[in-house]
Amino acid sequence: MFEPFYEVVFNVSKNITENKTALGRPVIGVMPAFFPMELIDAAGGYPVQLWGNNLSLGKSDAYLQAFSCSVARSVLELELIEGARMVEGYAFTSICDTLINLRELYRRLFPKPTVELSIPITRTDEARRIYLKSVIASVISGLEDITGTKVTSESLTKASSLHARTRELQRQLYYIRAEKSGLIKNYDFYVTIKAGFFLPRSVYNQMLEDLLEKLDKLPQPKGKRTKIVLSGMVFDPIEIYKIFDDLNIDIVDDDFANGWRTVSKGPLEVADIVEGVTSYVFNPAPCCCLYNPDNDRHPYLVDKAKKAGAEGVLFWYIKFCEPDAFDRPQLIQRLKDEGIPASFFDVELSMTNFDAIKTRIDAFSEMIKG
Amino acid sequence: MTEFQAASKMRELMTEYYIEAKTTKEKPIAWVTSGAPVEFLYTMDVLPIYPENHSAMCGAAHKSLELIEAAEAVGFSPDICSYARTDFGADMTKGGPIQGLPAPDMLLCSTNICKTVIKWYEVVARNYNVPLFIVDTPFMHDGLTRDLIDYTTTQFKNLEEFLTGFTGRSFDLDRFEEVLKFSLEAANYWKKILQLGKTKPSPFNSQDTFIHLAPIVTLRGTQKCADYYKILYEEIRDLAAKKVGSIPKEKYRTLWDNLPIWFKLRRLAEFFEDKKCALVVATYTNSWGGLGDDYDPKNPYEGLAKAYLSVYINSGFEHRINYLASLIDEYSLTGFILHSDRSCKPYSIGMYRMQEEVTRLTGKPGVIIEGDMCDPRVYSDAQTETRLEAFIESMEDSE
Repeated sequence: MFEPFYEVVFNVSKNITENKTALGRPVIGVMPAFFPMELIDAAGGYPVQLWGNNLSLGKSDAYLQAFSCSVARSVLELELIEGARMVEGYAFTSICDTLINLRELYRRLFPKPTVELSIPITRTDEARRIYLKSVIASVISGLEDITGTKVTSESLTKASSLHARTRELQRQLYYIRAEKSGLIKNYDFYVTIKAGFFLPRSVYNQMLEDLLEKLDKLPQPKGKRTKIVLSGMVFDPIEIYKIFDDLNIDIVDDDFANGWRTVSKGPLEVADIVEGVTSYVFNPAPCCCLYNPDNDRHPYLVDKAKKAGAEGVLFWYIKFCEPDAFDRPQLIQRLKDEGIPASFFDVELSMTNFDAIKTRIDAFSEMIKG
Repeated sequence: MTEFQAASKMRELMTEYYIEAKTTKEKPIAWVTSGAPVEFLYTMDVLPIYPENHSAMCGAAHKSLELIEAAEAVGFSPDICSYARTDFGADMTKGGPIQGLPAPDMLLCSTNICKTVIKWYEVVARNYNVPLFIVDTPFMHDGLTRDLIDYTTTQFKNLEEFLTGFTGRSFDLDRFEEVLKFSLEAANYWKKILQLGKTKPSPFNSQDTFIHLAPIVTLRGTQKCADYYKILYEEIRDLAAKKVGSIPKEKYRTLWDNLPIWFKLRRLAEFFEDKKCALVVATYTNSWGGLGDDYDPKNPYEGLAKAYLSVYINSGFEHRINYLASLIDEYSLTGFILHSDRSCKPYSIGMYRMQEEVTRLTGKPGVIIEGDMCDPRVYSDAQTETRLEAFIESMEDSE
């Protein structure tokens, strides 16, 4: 069932190149997080999401300190070793200091054009509208320059519908995972979501529909399994899911920036694009990178864990991600106060030895089993 | 390090400031970031307290490590800003030279120095259950634009409304103008002081200015702050006129980029003096000198918006590289030092490339040293000093 998704995830470059040729559209690399890819599709581009990779780091060390996160270091490495030749431009958001500076570094090092959705985090609505209006105009104009195609209300509406469909199908997959715990292996699940980073929407949507049809007919496996929720920015390295699978631990929901925080988003409303983008970025799931006291992560995560029937929450921490790291101690305490066991482990995207992580997951599993 | 006569006045000012902060019953206390528009707070008689300044003080007093370890013991990662960890530790243990800061009644945070401060202040807001007001000053990839100015000005108006509600008092424009006058006066004296570093030999060292920065960070907007910098300026101006250098035999003149390594201020000062190397300009201290550059009495909000947006580390690399090159030229520098500060990503990430470009532009050698402003565990005397010695030799070669 999952082979087509594996084929994409383990042959990323080949797949993107083939799709680019088939579509006749320029590839735009989308950096973390929450850039509305609808804008890229509407401008006649082919958005491909770059959430880091597992390259061993070498050339990027000349430009980024070891205290930069492995997401930034590995995407830069990819460009420096010319592994991103098919990418013609980059789309950034301003979610953290590292990515803001990374865009500046790209502008010094590479001739490829970049755009940035600078996200206003003010609570002053009037100010937000003033600023975001100009930011969106600049993003659209930058994308149009790369693709040579004008964005129209028709192209935006069509792109909005395509991407909304993707997220709707992904949500169905999340619901099946939660309702029929154990039916989808953790590893298969995240390979399926990850494949969506690289495929054109129409292709990916069809693959998801085929998969959902098959899954729909299958019953939930019998037997008691441990249920947990994961929280973090990026759900890689995916090898770690094999550890969960081996230990019969089911991830029944997640709070990843490139998982549920994105998948949960509704359609991008294009009639008023400023309000549409605001709502898209900030709703419905809160994120450590987006200040929004109206959508507090504490009750949100407690509620998520309880609704999923999770026995614990594990924080999947990409080293040196400050927004994530700042939130964690208070969040863990809040979960514990609610009677929900919580812990964390550190990851680097380039890591190849998972023994220490296995030990931590094992210990957590033992703890929640009591 | 240079002992200016004005230093005793500064110590007096800072002592009074912290005593008031610890004892005030009348004034509400706001914890603020170093780049926050405190002129609005002073106008409303809200007393601004700076956790960054306090963390720096803990670092310089060699008290930061125990506070950092206290914060880490409750789960804060060693990966996060060491100012924040020092602050959290001081708050939990009431340790450090002044036994922690007084509890805040509100928080004011501006993103012009980093986005990390939002996360730091979110933790504090949750701990104390107090309101947090953010003035968002987006990163200027391509310089100052009309939209950025309007965005910031609109937030200032909202800040005024917020403070009116918070204090229950109306916003007094006459008082605001007076506060602004003091703020700009202090900033202008500070700028004039820093420009005296162009004198050969330089009458001060950047390590001196790191210390004498405290009042402009904490008391900007008060008369006593403006008065202090007038006294300091006059003293340093006279030293410059008499060609009295901060180190006995100035041979090399360099720039310091990024925050100081607070816990090594004295050791590094002695190291540089021994090598006849004067640090005569620092991008960090310069950040408080530009407040008056865009001031327009007819439109004070716009002037303030421009000033608080146009912070060095809130600017794109093109601007930063050209700025560094212009300082090298204006201050007749023989080289430049970039501190790759593990705790300050916006200042540090991209620095390796900037070093290459600045050297290409100016022909002057540069060095990058790896360190941290408050966490001594990630700093090595031997490695740093070996690198600096090689750098000094390279300046010798290029003379």
